[in-house]
Amino acid sequence: MSQGRRGKINYRCPNCLFRDIDFDLLYDRQIDQYYCRRCNWEGTEHEILFLYAVYKRKYKHMLKRYTVDDILAKDED
Amino acid sequence: MFEERQVLVDKFILNVIHRPELIPEYIDNGACEGQTEQVGNAGVVNESLDIFRLQQEIAHKNGLRTTIQMTYSSLYNDECIELVKQYHNEYGDEVGHTFLGMNCKEFREKYKSKELAIWLFPMDMKKRIVADSFERFKEVFGYYPTSTGSYFMDAELLNHIKERYPMVKAAVATCFEEGPKVFRHTNFSWYTLMDGSPWTAWIPSKKNTHAIAEDEDDDIGVVAVPHLSRDLLAIMDNSGDMFGTHPQNIIRGMMYENDRLPYMYNLVDQYQVMKKYNKGFSYNLVYVGPGWMGKDGRWEADYRILKKSYEDFLAYYGKLKKQGKVEDMTITEFADWFRKNQPRSGPICGLWKDIIYGTKNQVFWYADSKFRVQIDLKQGGAITDLRPYASKLSRPCGAGTKANQDVSYPYIVHSRYRAGAFTHYAGEGAIKSCKVRYGSEEVDISSCRSTGIYSEGNRCRILGVRPVEIEFKKLTIKLATTYTFKENSGEIVISRKIIESSEPAAKVEVDEFLTSCWGTNEYPEDLTGCLLSVIGKNGSRNELSYEYRCREYSVENAECVEAVIPQVQTKVSLTPISEGCKGYYEEGYSFAPIFKIGISKKIGLNQELVTCLRVEGAK
Repeated sequence: MSQGRRGKINYRCPNCLFRDIDFDLLYDRQIDQYYCRRCNWEGTEHEILFLYAVYKRKYKHMLKRYTVDDILAKDED
Repeated sequence: MFEERQVLVDKFILNVIHRPELIPEYIDNGACEGQTEQVGNAGVVNESLDIFRLQQEIAHKNGLRTTIQMTYSSLYNDECIELVKQYHNEYGDEVGHTFLGMNCKEFREKYKSKELAIWLFPMDMKKRIVADSFERFKEVFGYYPTSTGSYFMDAELLNHIKERYPMVKAAVATCFEEGPKVFRHTNFSWYTLMDGSPWTAWIPSKKNTHAIAEDEDDDIGVVAVPHLSRDLLAIMDNSGDMFGTHPQNIIRGMMYENDRLPYMYNLVDQYQVMKKYNKGFSYNLVYVGPGWMGKDGRWEADYRILKKSYEDFLAYYGKLKKQGKVEDMTITEFADWFRKNQPRSGPICGLWKDIIYGTKNQVFWYADSKFRVQIDLKQGGAITDLRPYASKLSRPCGAGTKANQDVSYPYIVHSRYRAGAFTHYAGEGAIKSCKVRYGSEEVDISSCRSTGIYSEGNRCRILGVRPVEIEFKKLTIKLATTYTFKENSGEIVISRKIIESSEPAAKVEVDEFLTSCWGTNEYPEDLTGCLLSVIGKNGSRNELSYEYRCREYSVENAECVEAVIPQVQTKVSLTPISEGCKGYYEEGYSFAPIFKIGISKKIGLNQELVTCLRVEGAK
């Protein structure tokens, strides 16, 4: 087994992210795999990005713009 | 004491602070990966200075003045000192002081310590560092700073600074709700355990920085601000370090797509709305350390987006400034303005709406010299976090103290740390709510989602909870709730009124209760010795010293029910204003480590139960 290093991009463990812990992944370049030292998650860059997209789904209005008027209008909802 | 100083204004004030940290922790880690630690690595220092220059350039380009808070390391860097003098002369930026960024070669050689948090040093070292860095500042600039700051500044430290350097007027004194949730978020390694402060500018008590000062005698002498302006709803159940006026924190929380971060503008706009609840005043602080704009990027975000987000963010404030919607000040100018225009003891309020999760959820926050209260409208308007500032709890921190890192102001209700409305299998969690009973059925109104309506009365702030419908098998009622905060009295008058009923003759029992405990985090603290009392209208008094024995007592015609929590020097009571109410206490047990006090009464259509919740100090 080879030494884990930081990958080209310093990804956080998606599994830890889901439980509100920021924990850096390590990268095993021999087998092109990322893995977490804290939990048991391991996977590819593709899997990381997929899980990040899933993580963002909780922010349903992430791309919605609320202006002052929009926020004031919520008072009357 | 209530003050008449709070007048109507129309001010949204912005402070932008930059700090030439020189050895920011994040960049240092990145630069040194795979190497042993090298404090003062020239590459890191140069990169950090470049970022500082860039941040200043972005602010000035958008017409914004800044406060430059000099770190210990920057006070020993000639290039940085010259640069800062130029900014001061050319743009009128304030040159202030900070205890962040202390670590550098000079500091380590002098103090033989790797400690990085001023509030965690032993008191003798805090005093040495204050004198050392303030005198060094004077040597470099020819005058003492009028502002300082850190992630947290305890009352003992602020009192000492004010005594030695009375010209200090402003301090970045805490990070709002940067406590156990952030500790977890940082893999239990970022020791900013400091829940419990106000979320916007305040004048701290001499006894505890978190608590708002009672009066002139209790005034610590500085205007305090939280490190960032945060989302008052998102931080309730999430790590606060992702939801603030700090674009790179928002990126950390992944509330963005490509380079689009509308949330950061939404946050600013909601802070503009906060003027509505604070007689025309609102405040934002932007305080991004250089470590968040390193060339190596930050986690999965690259330098381009880190930089662009900061450019876009300050450009938005620049645009608002041109429109006359925000006024940029240096932090000392702000402190002077605050002293002249805001009351020493609050209150401060905020009815905050969800702007990220796509719900209609709202939360109401209130703070004055007696308490900080969080009302979750999604939980029928239950009080879900209560910090008893009335006790002005002296709680020294740092090495050599009992609290050490745990610098939060203790709660007496915290529904997320301590279960609240939902427990597994047994007992009850900490919450201030209300139960309605009809026959053998019972509904806790924390299960009824609602929203709030804000208004003001004579020396009081009022939160109306939009009426909720409660369905029993053979009866449906509509219940209206009103909270009236009597400013700086420690009292909240709570009204529950039935405004509609499917059976006009039917009566329901309304049980106004408080399940309480104390603590600073998720774990139970010792309740032994808490004193629970039920006082009858006839003068009878039944008292119980808490021993986890599940004992209960009630009286049919109650004058008052109360609990003294000696561990936090606090007394909390419920007094019926309505006549003919039952009062009770319940002790709790080790698997349900809370106590409960309550007032109940049977009421029908157009009738109400009115009680007064009072929080006071109990030395």
